[in-house]
This record gives sequence, C-alpha cells and structure tokens, in this order.
Amino acid sequence: MPAVIELENLVVRLGHRTILDRLSGALSGNCIGLLGPNGSGKSTLINTLLGFYPPLSGRVRIFGEDVQENPGCLRSQIGYMPETDAFIADMTGIRFVRYMAEISGLPRREAMERAHEAFFYVGLGEARYRKVGTYSLGMKQLAKLAQAIAHGPRLLLLDEPTNGLDPEARQRMLQLVRDIRDTGEVHVLISSHLLHDIEECCDQVLILKDGHVAALCNLEEERKANLKFLELEVSHENGFLDAVRGLGCECASFGAGRLKIVLPDNIELGQIYRLASDDTVQIRRMNYRRDSLEDIFLKAMSGKTEMRGATNGRL
Amino acid sequence: MAVYKRTYKAYHGQLTPAWSRFTVLSRYGFARLFASRMFTAFTVLCFVPFIIGLLFIYFLHSSMAQVLLGMQMSTALQVNNVWFSVFLGLQAWLGFMLAAWCAPGMMSTDFANNALQLYLSRPLSRPEYLLGKVSVLVALLSCVSWVPALILFFLQASMEGHGWLFENLWLAGAIVTSALLWIAVVALLGLATSVLVKWRIAATALMLAIFFMLPGFGVAMDLILHTRWGQLFNLTYVLARLWASLLRIPPPHGGRLEPVPLWSAWATVFFVCAVSLWILNRRLKAREVE
Repeated sequence: MPAVIELENLVVRLGHRTILDRLSGALSGNCIGLLGPNGSGKSTLINTLLGFYPPLSGRVRIFGEDVQENPGCLRSQIGYMPETDAFIADMTGIRFVRYMAEISGLPRREAMERAHEAFFYVGLGEARYRKVGTYSLGMKQLAKLAQAIAHGPRLLLLDEPTNGLDPEARQRMLQLVRDIRDTGEVHVLISSHLLHDIEECCDQVLILKDGHVAALCNLEEERKANLKFLELEVSHENGFLDAVRGLGCECASFGAGRLKIVLPDNIELGQIYRLASDDTVQIRRMNYRRDSLEDIFLKAMSGKTEMRGATNGRL
Repeated sequence: MAVYKRTYKAYHGQLTPAWSRFTVLSRYGFARLFASRMFTAFTVLCFVPFIIGLLFIYFLHSSMAQVLLGMQMSTALQVNNVWFSVFLGLQAWLGFMLAAWCAPGMMSTDFANNALQLYLSRPLSRPEYLLGKVSVLVALLSCVSWVPALILFFLQASMEGHGWLFENLWLAGAIVTSALLWIAVVALLGLATSVLVKWRIAATALMLAIFFMLPGFGVAMDLILHTRWGQLFNLTYVLARLWASLLRIPPPHGGRLEPVPLWSAWATVFFVCAVSLWILNRRLKAREVE
C-alpha cells in the first residue's frame, strides 16, 4: 500500500525546544494511531502535517506531496478535528459546517447538502439548527467531526476525538471512526493517549516518546507475531514446571504456585492440561492472552532505542 | 451520501476556484452583520447625508425645481472641494461608528472560539483570511464614503457642464485617496484591536480609546513639553491634515498650535498601518507558540 504520510528526518523546534527530533517513517494504514504520553509530540506532529509549524529540517509528505510546498492543495484533502473546543459559537450547527465546507472549496449548494448529510451521519441531525454554543461537550465533539468530514477529505486527522466523552458517547465516536475507516475512501490518523481507543480502531500505530519514534508497527501483524502467554495459579509445582519446560515452553515461577508460561506456536493449550492431569496438579486460575497494545506501548516506553524491525517493520 | 443511508462518502464534485475562497468569509461576514436590524438601520442612516447631497445638487442646478418649491438658492452656494470635504468629513464619522460597531467583533469571536485553526487547516492562507475579513470593512466603509462622494461628484459634473469635470478631475482622485487612507487606518486599527482583545466589548472600547483618549494624551504632551507634536496622537486630526492637503483646503488648526508638517502626518498614517499589520501578522496564527 502506498504511504499516506512520509516523515523524513523531521525536526520541529518551537522556541528553544526541539519537540520532534529526526522522525522518520512511512505511515500507510487505513487507520493510523498516534500514541504517546503527554508532551511526546503528538499534537505537534499533527500541526506539522497541517503546515502550522514549519519543520526546522527534514520533510513531511502527504499522498506524496510535500506539506510545505503545496499546503493549499493538500489541505483541501484533509479534514481536521482539533483537540480543543473550536467552533463559531453564535452560528447554528448546520451553518457552521456549511461555512467550513465552503471554505474547503465546495460550491454553496453542495456544501449545504453535505453539511446536512454530515450532521445526520454523526447523529446530530435533530440538533442541526441549534447554535453550536448551546451544544453539550459530546455534541460539540460530534459537530467538530461533522465539519472535518463534510468536504469529503482523503485524510482525516483526529486529535483526541474521545476527550471528555462519557462511555456511551465514546463508543459512538469510535464506531463512527471505524465506519469511516471501513469505507476505504479515507485514511484516518487518530492521536490519543488512550490505548483502548487506538486498539479498537487502528491497524497501524506510531508511538512517540520525547519527540522520537519509539515504535512504528502494524498492529495486526504484531498481534499475530507476538507470543501467547499463560498465567497460571496451580496447587503445587512439583514436576509440573519441568514437564512444561520439556514441551519447549519458557516458564517462570513467581512462588506460591504462580507461573507464567510462554507458549510457542506449535504447543496447544490441551497439552498443558494433559501435563497437569498426569502430574495431578490442580489448576486454580488460568489467564490466557496475547500481547496487547498496552504491552507494545510499555515496551516502547521502556526501550531506549527505537523499536522498529529493520526488515519487517514490526516490533 | 444520502441522508437515509448515513454512510460516509468522499466528495468527488467540482470545487470553487482557490482564489475565491476568501469571498466566503466576506459573504458570511456581511450576512452576520446584516442579521442585526439595528446595524442595518444604522447603515441606512449613513446614506441620509448622501440623499441630502443629491437633492442639494439637483436643486442648485434646477431653476424649475426652485420655482416649484418657491425656494431661491443663493448663488454663493457652490459644490466644490470645500463642499466635498464637509461631506466626506460627515460620512467619515458615520463610517467610523459603523466600523466601531463591526470591526472589533470581526476576528475576536474567532479567537475566543479557537476557530482560527479550523479556517487555517483548510485551503485558506493567513493573508486570505485577513483579506476576507478586511474586505467586509473596506466594502462597507467604501459604500458610505468615496462611492457616494463620487456619485455626487459625477452628478455635479453632469449638471454643471461647461468643462467642470475636467477642471475638477483632480478632486475625484483626491476624494478616493482621502477616503481610502481613512478606510485603511480605521479598518486595520479595528482588526488589530479585534485580535488583541478576545472580548468584543473590550475590543470596541480599545478602538474608541485610541481615537478619543489618545488625543487627550497628545494635548497634555503639547502643554507640558510646549510642542506641537502631540497632535500626532490625534488620528482624526492627522487624517484631517492629510485630507486638507489632498482636497486643497486650509489645514485644520489644533487650537493655538501650528499645524504639524505634512510629512509627519503621512508618517503617522503609515506607522499606524504598519503597526496594525504587524500585530495582525503576530496574532493571526493557527497555533500560538511562545
């Protein structure tokens, strides 16, 4: 898949502080997650993609075009939902979205039509004639999404889209993002520090740490490639531990019958049950899981160097 | 995407020309201003002197109308540079009140609502954003200043005949230049205050203070330092000084003081415009970075 966003030794400096330091990588997923702790440079990267901050050195390309060379043309293909409240309070929702669509280049009639459609799409159809200033926080977030998609962008930049939303509204927002992603007509880049949001929507993730790329990976491949873990609590370990090791599993004991076993791909769970039965070991608790995004994130955060496979692009 | 389907669909239709995007801001700006009935009524009021001017010129040249109305217009009454300077002066004050009404809120609301990032994340540059906003003020102030003055000028030329137009062609240029100078100062200052203060009322107060309180500071400076340069703090005086030169009328007197040199008035106007543009350039950013 051709890269949507290409970063080439990107350095962004604000004041006397280097915020993004030699970022490189190609992002090509349908839905790209931008992860990192607060202050890691996520919003700065989005602002640089929009051309708000000029890079000190290096390049940023979107759909193969340099952001600094042709910002006008690129921006007409981008929809941006900012993190902070951003709207025109004394306009009705529909007028606000229509206004924004017209600035993006849509003729009046089409802008009006698509503003209505965008409002219905995000679920604010009934509130479209109310002034934006009277909307609740959740409604404002949806209105921001509506203005970002009304002109039909090819790339959607969502900066913390679930900020301040209650669980129900958050689920609705994530569902909308997934729906948009699944149309295949638009690439989505979501910046968030909520791992769960990214995990639910994204197929590729870029993790930033202190302005550096801490990890850049394809989530799906990562999940497949990562090992399966078993966390067990057993009545006694006598012989059982050695038997498990005999199968070719890595195994660690934490005392009091608590074990952690790494299952290679060729070992089935049933074999562990059989061993336990043979050794008359009672399994009191079993937790079976794969590496989650949280593990990937924590590894990236604890790693001193960039975690990116040179050949396969995986962690 | 059809409403009933409620699915996302990209837009593949026609786009408006890139150069015309700033006109969207102007159009919405006008719509927003004229949504207020008070503002609309006041704008209509600004054309009353123009109507009176039209009637005056007509009656001055129509003996039939004078007879019908039983009026005898004095032959001493003339439509000349002095007459146009009075008309422009009156229109300038009315226009200033219009600008004080609408200019401060033009950008301050966008700043208060963090809307600038939404504008600038679209195919709209900072100069285009400024152009969109300033064009509303320029069009509005033009409609109450040089446009009616030129209409009166050509009406007078057509009714006077005998080569009046060619003898006074310089006056048409002077009217347009004088009005444009005033528009530049008022519009840029208004927008600069609008970006400095997010609260519309405070922005209006700041604009009025620049025009009405700074002259007081200038008078105090003149009295204390025994100088005449304090008059340069009075923007109304400075503009009147330039108008006097352009319209070839005697310069205004600041009380007992001598008028300031013409070059200093030009320099003041350029300085005010330059500072306003500098403020706008500093503040008109999608993101604030210190």
